[in-house]
Amino acid sequence: MSATLLIAMLITMIGASTPILLAALGELVVEKSGVLNLGIEGMMLTGAVVGFAVTYTTGNPWLGITIAALAGAAVSMIFAFLTLSLSANQVATGLALTIFGTGFSALFGSEYTGKPLELFKSIFPASLAEDPYLRLIFGHSPLVYFSFFMVFAVWWFLSRTRAGLILRAVGENDVSAHSIGYSVIGIRYGAVAFGGAMAGVGGACFPLLLTPQWVEGLTAGRGWIALALVVFAAWRPLRLLAGAYLFGLIATMELYTQAAGGVFRIIAPEMWASLPYLATIGVLVIISLGRSANANAPACLGKPFEAGH
Amino acid sequence: MQFRFEKRAEPSRTMLYVTPVAAVLLTMVLGAIIFTIIGYDGIGAVREIFFTPLTNSLKWQDLAVKAAPPLIIGGGLSIGYRANVWNIGAEGQYIVGGLAATGVALLTQDMSGWWILPLMGIAGIAGGMAYVAVPAFLRVRLKVNEILTTLMLTYVAVNILNYLVFGPWKSPTSFGQPQTVAFNDSQSLPYIIEGTIVQAGAPIAIIVALVAWFVMSRTMFGFQVTTVGAAPKAAAYAGFSANKTILAVLFISGGLAGLAGMLEAAGPFGRMVPQFPSNYGFTAIIVAFLGRLHPIGVLFAGVVLAITFVGGEVAQTTIALPNPAVGIFQAMMLFLLLAGDVLVRYRIVRAGATGGREAI
Repeated sequence: MSATLLIAMLITMIGASTPILLAALGELVVEKSGVLNLGIEGMMLTGAVVGFAVTYTTGNPWLGITIAALAGAAVSMIFAFLTLSLSANQVATGLALTIFGTGFSALFGSEYTGKPLELFKSIFPASLAEDPYLRLIFGHSPLVYFSFFMVFAVWWFLSRTRAGLILRAVGENDVSAHSIGYSVIGIRYGAVAFGGAMAGVGGACFPLLLTPQWVEGLTAGRGWIALALVVFAAWRPLRLLAGAYLFGLIATMELYTQAAGGVFRIIAPEMWASLPYLATIGVLVIISLGRSANANAPACLGKPFEAGH
Repeated sequence: MQFRFEKRAEPSRTMLYVTPVAAVLLTMVLGAIIFTIIGYDGIGAVREIFFTPLTNSLKWQDLAVKAAPPLIIGGGLSIGYRANVWNIGAEGQYIVGGLAATGVALLTQDMSGWWILPLMGIAGIAGGMAYVAVPAFLRVRLKVNEILTTLMLTYVAVNILNYLVFGPWKSPTSFGQPQTVAFNDSQSLPYIIEGTIVQAGAPIAIIVALVAWFVMSRTMFGFQVTTVGAAPKAAAYAGFSANKTILAVLFISGGLAGLAGMLEAAGPFGRMVPQFPSNYGFTAIIVAFLGRLHPIGVLFAGVVLAITFVGGEVAQTTIALPNPAVGIFQAMMLFLLLAGDVLVRYRIVRAGATGGREAI
């Protein structure tokens, strides 16, 4: 296999991983604050349709992504209000958010079917990306660099800042955090909004980074895979990066096996298409076999907090 | 005037039954407003989606057809959710149930006889159960979260379906269409009312609801499921095995989803096609919650959801409302129901007031 092909594969893999990575980073922060939001898929779909619509209308992908982030954060506030202010069941509310996002994106996306969008390409001069090795550094969409930056930013925030420490404290022991004067609900609102914004950007990656057209339900369960990745990464941002790329590799395998033909043809394309989902289950099994499967899970994950108890 | 929430000593039974109805009514009001704001005929949408299917007697048979699958699946899911077991991949079990029944139909293509349909039914149930067996086993043995595994397998089920109807199961006489041969008379559900489109799915759905009600409220098993879900420690003291309960409720919900798949394949579809996944498995989740996880409540909720399905099709033709709007109405119902839950557990009191005097 030539180096050029390998580099092309790497770039495709990194692209395919980016939406999952962004959404999973958001969810990681949400879960660290003690909240389980199962609505990632819905928030991603919302971000995808809003990102598409704004970019298509204004021709400005930066604006598209910004509004997608805001839209993701906005719909996450429905979840936050129900679960945090009204103590509604987090599992059910997250599911409702996904059902809502699916309907919302299908309703507003239908008018963009068949309309072409331009991919959000590298901002570096094309001459820099001519050499295959330099392409690996300079050939990505700004969304990819943003995801790198966010991995570092989330890691730094959670492990090196006071605010991150407080957020983790709220997720580990909400009653203690409350009694020393931190607003558990307020901090969780902030975390959920961040998770929503990241899922919104992750969703916008589908039309802007991967396939520049509107397809209904284009996220195809990637939001759920992001959820599994957080568990896989044991709530650590750097492991999340590795996990997301592993999934990107599996998800792009379908493309290359089809192109390669030969032995790979023995296995039906539908089987390759199933692989990311089966791999997710496999990964969940492997982690659960580990000695301390959920030892890193925030202690208050998914439990409602009621002040005054 | 300031209000605050005060925890009730006991969850309010009145609110438990009032809130689902209120959620549906509020969905109509809010839906009309929101859809008007975003540029549709909001009032028309609510009229066509919620009322036309009831007032237009021509639509009643559609209701019976559309209500059956979410009712059967929702009945199974509600039992599982009671035990705090979250099978959200019923759509996948529904598909595999349909595929298993189709498999039997393809094997018995040249045969006829009364025994074929029951055999397809058993295959459907077995298919759904087999498909949930992996998440069930993983949950019990390795504590792998069933939410993710059941959902992941739904995407795999869609791929299996496509593989079969585009490949080995494709009818040789379909002119390249991805579909199986049509089922013969012995493989198709009978019409229960002459001259209508109502097949055996609707009465089976009602039977399932009644059996579920009996099991959940009149048997030890129902008590066991409820206890394991509500008070796991008490359940352990009582000698109820959490793992056995989890397995049982997963197999029940998977089996019922598989049965619904068989009934759809042998009923409205009459063959297997790529359009077979109809989102009934996801709708059933809303049905289960709107029905308060109670078999009889599920019966009502299933009818409400069927109304919105049929009404959505009506609204598409009469006022050109895009079909996904129905999904938004359904999600709103669930949101409002979950918001209303707070009234079950809390009462609203005027700030400053003590005790329940001025409580609403």
